[in-house]
Amino acid sequence: MEKAESSLTKGGRFIGKFGFTPLSIAMLFVLAIFPLVLQDEVITRLLISALMLGALAMAFDFTAGFININNFGYAAFWGVGAYTSALLAVKLGISPWLGMLAGGILAGLLGLGLGFLTLRLAGIFASCMTWFVALAMFAVTANWVELTRGTSGLSVPPLFNTTGNIGYFYTILIMTVLTYVGLKVIIKSHIGTAFRAIGQDLQAAQASGINVTKYKIMNFTISCAIAGVLGGFYAHFVGIITPTVMNTSHTVEVMVLSFVGGRGTIWGGLIAGLVMIPSMEYLKGLMELRLLIYGVLMIVVMIFFPSGLAGLYYKVVQLIRKNASLTKGKKEEKDVRRAGL
Amino acid sequence: MDMDSMQLFNIVLTGVLRGGLYALMAVGLSLVFGVMNIPNFAHGEFYMLGAYFSYFTYTYFHFGPISSILLAAVGTFILGAIAEKTLFYPLRKRSKKNWIMNTFLLTLGISIVLQNGAKMLWGNTYRGITQYWPGKVSIASFNISNDRIAGFCIAMVTIAIFWLFLNKTTMGRAIRAVSQDETGASIVGVNLNVIHTLTFALSCLLAGLAGAILLSISPAYPFMGVQPLYKSWFVLILVGMGNIGASIYGGLLVGLLETFAYMKFGSGWQDVVSLAIIIMILIFKPRGLFAKKGVKSVSE
Repeated sequence: MEKAESSLTKGGRFIGKFGFTPLSIAMLFVLAIFPLVLQDEVITRLLISALMLGALAMAFDFTAGFININNFGYAAFWGVGAYTSALLAVKLGISPWLGMLAGGILAGLLGLGLGFLTLRLAGIFASCMTWFVALAMFAVTANWVELTRGTSGLSVPPLFNTTGNIGYFYTILIMTVLTYVGLKVIIKSHIGTAFRAIGQDLQAAQASGINVTKYKIMNFTISCAIAGVLGGFYAHFVGIITPTVMNTSHTVEVMVLSFVGGRGTIWGGLIAGLVMIPSMEYLKGLMELRLLIYGVLMIVVMIFFPSGLAGLYYKVVQLIRKNASLTKGKKEEKDVRRAGL
Repeated sequence: MDMDSMQLFNIVLTGVLRGGLYALMAVGLSLVFGVMNIPNFAHGEFYMLGAYFSYFTYTYFHFGPISSILLAAVGTFILGAIAEKTLFYPLRKRSKKNWIMNTFLLTLGISIVLQNGAKMLWGNTYRGITQYWPGKVSIASFNISNDRIAGFCIAMVTIAIFWLFLNKTTMGRAIRAVSQDETGASIVGVNLNVIHTLTFALSCLLAGLAGAILLSISPAYPFMGVQPLYKSWFVLILVGMGNIGASIYGGLLVGLLETFAYMKFGSGWQDVVSLAIIIMILIFKPRGLFAKKGVKSVSE
């Protein structure tokens, strides 16, 4: 009995290294078999977009929630990935899988450039800069008609030859899990600590010997590269792309997910995506109302729940633990208090 | 008069007019950021509301041009005050931690709500008027419509009045005091709540006024605020904050630059050109073009 328990905690510690808890493993498992059980193409497509936006929101949070810079041009990097992968497939006949990788690399390189550009700017002006860069990228995509076919759109070959969506679902599920694990491993390492230090107080971070330049640029590169890969996936999933993928409204969507989910948690954005995207689907006929709800949610979250869904979750967990410890005695309460801190 | 100088004159004229508008917007934006530390991304939406206000008062209620413009200013002033009292005030009471980022997101939410609210209420159509003041002025062989001259004059007079208000009145001095040192100002008896509401409402008034003045040139439309917002941030990055005079130069500069890029490279590419220029400025003059004491710079 004791032996089994200790191996269980060992297992817990092992999955904890990759940012998982037993609960999240169980949820992931349910999610993974969901489309197999339900066999509904509409719901599967919905889950695909929820996962994709959720993954984007996680990568967005990697910048906004840690180094405290809102990448207000995030959708443009997503779009760069989409266009790179699509153009490679259309013009050169390169496999979409390699195309997605290429999209990630190009978006990452552009993110590196953006990192350099925003380096000297204070918080909000850095956000403005990312926005300006994105607007310029949008303008180039929309006006370079010879390459991108401009606003008439580019049709993209699919990733799989079957009509079903199951293949896409498992692709994006794996990509999302890899994104989560990758980001979480970085955040748990000393690099994550450096990011947090920079986000909280730049001067103090600099004074304590953190190479701010290096970490800021690293952060932008990683986050934009992930957006690029996901953009490549998006292009082959929807089959046609127009420059509107780079629109600020897409950035806003990702941003809302990430902040409603809870900043600085990585997983918050994914949960918000899985909850909000399917429920928003019922309002599809009323596009304005959908955006209006996003706006209202943003206002409400900012004023009343600045820590988002994740904050609520932690509060509930704390409450349950407190109740449990009250019945068990004082020793445990101390432990909980220590764990809570 | 040959074609080239004709074109040049046109560029300068359009640029100056747009520049006046950008200056008006940038002054409001910089005021709110300087006094309240709010990066207002809903500033363009108050510009949009100003345009709608004057459109409805002018066409439906048949007010005169001046009174429609004034009503638009009063309307956006009131809306601004309401927004400050109902949204920013509670947030300030709840927490000041991470204030700039939170208010940035809050203004973004307001902007989404106002844009899509306007779209639901008034539809996706352009609502404009042909002119406030019919006729045009001829100088040599150039024709300038009365509206453009009047618009530019109103913008400049407003900025002048605003400058006088900030420098010569007690209230204006209190606003400047808060922008320099909030705690200090409240110790000497400045009521911060009043100043904050007034500042935000005034800034909205400036944006609404700009929208109303330009109604005959750019019609009211739910998403019309995005471009002016983007340009007024552009101005702020260019010249730094807290200097009204610099905002005027910056506005005119951005207006001319944009018109010139538009004429030279065609529509669509002007964003790329403007961005390239701003990147150069940030690389070579990171403290802004008019860096001096008392101007909040954009770099850390």
